[in-house]
Amino acid sequence: MFKILIVEDDDALREQLEIGLMASGFEVCYASNGLDAVPAFEKNKPDLILLDLMLPGKNGIEICTEIRRNSGVPIIMLTARTEDTDMIRGLEAGADDYVTKPYKIEVLVSRIKARLRPLQEPQHPIIKIGPIEMDTLSHEVRKGNKKIALTPLEFKLLLTLAQHPNEVFSREMLLEQVWEYTYKADTRLVNVHVQRLRSKIEDDQEDPKLVVTVRGWGYKAGPE
Amino acid sequence: MIISRITKAALDRFRSSLTLRALVYTVALSGTALIILGGVLSVSIGNGLFSRKTEQAVIESNRAKFTVSRLFEGTSGPGSWKLEQALQEVVPELESIGVSQTRQVAFLHSDGQSNPKNLSSPTSVGIDLGLITEDFRNLVISEEELQTRTVQISRAGESTPAILIGQKFTLPGGHRYELYLVYDMYNEQQTLMFVQRTLVLGGFVTLMIIGFFSFLVTSWLVRPVQEAADASELLANGDLDRRLAVRGTDVAAVLATSFNHMADSLQEKITAMGELSKMQQRFVSDVSHELRTPLTTMKLAADYLNDNKEGLPPFTERSIVNLHGQMDRFDMLLADLLEISRYDAEGIEPMFEVHDLNGIVGVCLTAIQPFADSKGVYLEADIPSGAVQCEVDSRRIDRILNNLLTNAIEHGEGKPVLIRVAQNERAVAVSVTDQGIGMSQEELSQAFDRFWRADPSRKRTTGGTGLGLAISYEDAQLHLGKLEVAAEPGLGACFRLTLPKRHDITDIESPLPLAVLKP
Repeated sequence: MFKILIVEDDDALREQLEIGLMASGFEVCYASNGLDAVPAFEKNKPDLILLDLMLPGKNGIEICTEIRRNSGVPIIMLTARTEDTDMIRGLEAGADDYVTKPYKIEVLVSRIKARLRPLQEPQHPIIKIGPIEMDTLSHEVRKGNKKIALTPLEFKLLLTLAQHPNEVFSREMLLEQVWEYTYKADTRLVNVHVQRLRSKIEDDQEDPKLVVTVRGWGYKAGPE
Repeated sequence: MIISRITKAALDRFRSSLTLRALVYTVALSGTALIILGGVLSVSIGNGLFSRKTEQAVIESNRAKFTVSRLFEGTSGPGSWKLEQALQEVVPELESIGVSQTRQVAFLHSDGQSNPKNLSSPTSVGIDLGLITEDFRNLVISEEELQTRTVQISRAGESTPAILIGQKFTLPGGHRYELYLVYDMYNEQQTLMFVQRTLVLGGFVTLMIIGFFSFLVTSWLVRPVQEAADASELLANGDLDRRLAVRGTDVAAVLATSFNHMADSLQEKITAMGELSKMQQRFVSDVSHELRTPLTTMKLAADYLNDNKEGLPPFTERSIVNLHGQMDRFDMLLADLLEISRYDAEGIEPMFEVHDLNGIVGVCLTAIQPFADSKGVYLEADIPSGAVQCEVDSRRIDRILNNLLTNAIEHGEGKPVLIRVAQNERAVAVSVTDQGIGMSQEELSQAFDRFWRADPSRKRTTGGTGLGLAISYEDAQLHLGKLEVAAEPGLGACFRLTLPKRHDITDIESPLPLAVLKP
């Protein structure tokens, strides 16, 4: 059973969320303010975090940054539409996905399941892209001798591109294959996470060689 | 063509410039006055010169009478040689008397009488005897007094006015003679011409000076008006801090003071209204936002109840269904309200990226197909082959299209809906044309108003929040594009979205027509 940490300061909403999630078969723990979030994460070791952005004590973006320092645990932000710029900053801070208030429990649960689903067994255990070597069994990524820490989402994103080198993936395709959105979603998710991925694997972020933008279309792996 | 264009340009300039108009009027009026004055002066000087010359000529002619009488004294003897001798002296004698140097003389033996001695009729050298007409001679012969007449003589190839004076004489011995004196008025004519030239030149210079001063004065008078006009224009364009400098206490200063006063109160009102409007927008935004969290809880609860309503008493179950349905509607309303309040607060940051419009339209059509099927509406797409690339915020374009398609399907009365895509050099366009109930002129003008519904009964059962088109309109504006509508009652409506290919292109023309389908 997956354990989910809810960080939400509104008690009624948190309780209703707990009911919904427990009814969907998840184990739930919570933190009701920003300061308790990281300790609750360390104590409960959840499989996924639902993170409200506006929190007393410490906001969602700070919490996200702090957790990302040594964990790739999936984080889904719970945002209101007015917090658009905050939402982008949350993605940049490492959140994997977001759900806009007011959300339906089915939508939230499907987002959670998408993030918790294990990777499909690839045909080759080792995938190479330029100097990068991806071990699909241990989920280890190396660039030469250096180990690179990617979150599961970033791993999946890079793997999706690397399995079909030089094939162009549109943002919508990536949303479907990596995020598992079955209908139109926010392509900014892709943009932000490609940026984060590049910052970890590229020699020069401004001149990417491994994850290349194809103007007007999307992205592809490898320059050749 | 060119001349008429120049004329038109000059006319436009004339109409638009107060200074130029004042200048032209002043110069025209002064010019007329000067011409009248010059004419009067010229005529009166000419008359003066002429009458003085005539007087002088008459005086000299009278004096000539005595000279002639003296010459012919004692020539009444029987021999004619004395008479003839005297006759020979008449012309030189008369040419040399008086002050007028340019005098010609003719001393003619009157015709029609016996001239037994064959007396001569001496004349000055070069006199034009044609001047002395038969008429005039008859007049001279018949009258006692001397007769004057103005004639034209030619002098040095030029025609010059002259005075012809004639009188009759009876010489001793009964010989009747007429004396004709021609005083040419060359000098007077020259004087008059000089005076006229001076008048014309003087008038012209005076006119220039008047024009120059009137320009100075008008400019000086018009300047405060011009300044006020410029300031009004700037004020109207939103430069609310614009004021006029107040100088002195004259009418210009009063104008400036009143203008500033007006600008002050205008600025106060606009600022106050702006603040009020901002507060209202802020309030709407805050309220919408504050409603989010409780709404989410309510929605989650309603969803949970809805999922677990089996086996509950029928009234309870029905209540849950209603609660659940209305929560969804409430949610949609709030989302649209929030979106439009974000536009009002200018808090929109669009994300422009190059997209294929065909692709966006295709995705939209696929997504809406089930809804169209449920209404029995056939979606017909007229889409060009190849990519229609444009720099847009795809989420917003998607939202606009979704909105237009939903409306077309809802109001299309089951008839096919035509979706067209096209592009030109600078712009791309999508149009959605239905063949439904259409709209009247009045309804057309309100189509993009908030909470306005094409359905006159404002029936709420057909979904939508009433904000859809208002948001779409703002979305189009955000792209520097246009969302337009044409409709006719009973024939349907055509909504056309035109977008610049890049978001820095302005001044675009739509590659698609904006018209309903004619049956």
